Amino acid sequence: MSLGNYGRARLRSALTTAGVAIGTALVVLLIALATGAEDNVRRSIFSIGDLRLVTVQPFQPGANGLSAVPRTITDDTVAKLKVVAHVDGVYRQFDAPLGMVVEGGDDATIRPQGIEPGAPVDRGDLLAGRHLEAGDRAVAVIPGNIARLVAPNAGAAIGRTVTMRVGGAVKLGSTRIGGSGTPRDYGVKIVGVFDEQASQTSFRIPLEDALLAGAENRGLTADAIRQTTGYSGLAVEADDSTNVADIVRAVQELGFSSFSLKQVVEQIDQGFGVFKGILAGIGGVALLVAAIGIANTMVMSVLERTREIGIMKAVGASPRDIRTLFLAEAAYVGVFGGVLGLALGLAGGQIIDRVIRQLNPRTNPAAIFVVGPDLALGALALALGVALLAGFLPARRAMRMSALSALRYE
Amino acid sequence: MNAPLAVEALDLERTYASGHTTVAALAGVTLAIQRGEFVAVMGPSGSGKSTLLNVVAGLERPTGGTVRVDGEDLARLDEEALARHRSRRVGMVFQAFNLLPRLHVVENVALPLAFAGVSVSERLRRARAILERLGMTARAEHRTNELSGGELQRAAVARALIGDPAILLADEPTGNLDSANGAALIALFEELHAQSQTVLLVTHDAQIAAHAERIIRMRDGRVVDV
Repeated sequence: MSLGNYGRARLRSALTTAGVAIGTALVVLLIALATGAEDNVRRSIFSIGDLRLVTVQPFQPGANGLSAVPRTITDDTVAKLKVVAHVDGVYRQFDAPLGMVVEGGDDATIRPQGIEPGAPVDRGDLLAGRHLEAGDRAVAVIPGNIARLVAPNAGAAIGRTVTMRVGGAVKLGSTRIGGSGTPRDYGVKIVGVFDEQASQTSFRIPLEDALLAGAENRGLTADAIRQTTGYSGLAVEADDSTNVADIVRAVQELGFSSFSLKQVVEQIDQGFGVFKGILAGIGGVALLVAAIGIANTMVMSVLERTREIGIMKAVGASPRDIRTLFLAEAAYVGVFGGVLGLALGLAGGQIIDRVIRQLNPRTNPAAIFVVGPDLALGALALALGVALLAGFLPARRAMRMSALSALRYE
Repeated sequence: MNAPLAVEALDLERTYASGHTTVAALAGVTLAIQRGEFVAVMGPSGSGKSTLLNVVAGLERPTGGTVRVDGEDLARLDEEALARHRSRRVGMVFQAFNLLPRLHVVENVALPLAFAGVSVSERLRRARAILERLGMTARAEHRTNELSGGELQRAAVARALIGDPAILLADEPTGNLDSANGAALIALFEELHAQSQTVLLVTHDAQIAAHAERIIRMRDGRVVDV
């Protein structure tokens, strides 16, 4: 029956519905924009690395930049971390002094990075060959760009032996950019080549080889390095990314600084939460204006239909029946407006996305407006909720109207 | 046990506040109407006859005394229950017809059942049945603005009867009709009465009232002659 009324004052209903639609569309567009931005940022973070990973740094907690206070990572630290709950694996890393590889006529600066087999850094990025394995000595997994210096292609580099010069002055052109001690040459066999997107300078070598090179560079023994200098870092892997915070806490309790992408992502999420809230608030103002429109329409409708309300009450409509009737009318406006607004928002977002793609034909950017099912349902629920709220007072007015005085109303 | 009286009023009062003074529309009305009776309430305007009818209809609450309709004490009903009373226990016919112009005649007749939880198909079926009984089938699918005054009031009577009420209430039902249509409507009331429908009619027209079995005369909120 209220649907009949909705159809009766068509223009007024249409205008009110349009108000709700515009408000809903704005909320959808703004939140879709924030979601799209968040998705893009998260996607680029996920491409950087594994969220389960916590890196232990050889500094005291709170280390940043110049104020970092060094702290030694020893095998004792490793043993303590291995028994922390939710720790899946602890991988030691020791960076030997910078060096170079002299091969194929070009000198290439390299960072010899001593790691353990199965370390997170040495996974799934091979162009040829294999990763490091237990028992390996005098071998290296090298970046693709250096492999192509020593062989026509990555595959052909496998099995070749190159001379890795560790220590001494490391130059870029004629400028000394680093290096320490006396240079010493080590022959290493290339067993694997990885995609240089991860690093163009890193030589992944067995941990023991790196410790030995570091010790010989400074005239020490490998054990002395382990105890006094300590490891360059530890890669601690959690069983699940949700437990990273626990591990970070344990690392800090042991007195070490840590870094994890998971924490970065959480901070970003928090930031985007605020961002979304603000945008939703702006859209909400539009919906509020629409709500006032609904309330106004409803008040008018109640006034116009005073006599009708009286008749319905006289023939047996209860106060609840009358309220339901008017709330249903508000709900129609909310649902129609919400659906229309959602459609508008979706279409608007797609059009803007398409225009941006056409303006940047080469980069093919990811979608800027992202509408998930929760946003779509949430927008509909919001429109309905706002409409019901706006209809509540006029509906109550209709409900409380005396049947007799309503019948006498002209 | 005897069946309850159709209407039973005891010291019924209804006062209105008007500025500093109060006006008594009903100043202690006591009366009883048997089931199956056709009673007319007569009196000049302001005598309280319409107020009496509205109180019995459950459109107005008395400020004193008690009133029972079909055995139910109306003072004990809350708003929701009073609405059910209006949709099921009584049927009301007004001087101004009070039909909804945006609905067809059959929808108007079916309207009370919409608030009694009857399904659409069932209430339209019952509305058509009652329109047929009143010889209005030809007008069922018309809009109210296509009907004559006499037809409108006949439709209103059909609406009042659809809930099979214990008592049919009519407030000046012939007031907006010409004499021929007025006479036809009274004939309809007599016919319903003959089918044992209880009828309570309010009028100031002695000729109309004369068709009733019994006349209750009112003046200044009191019954002066039963």
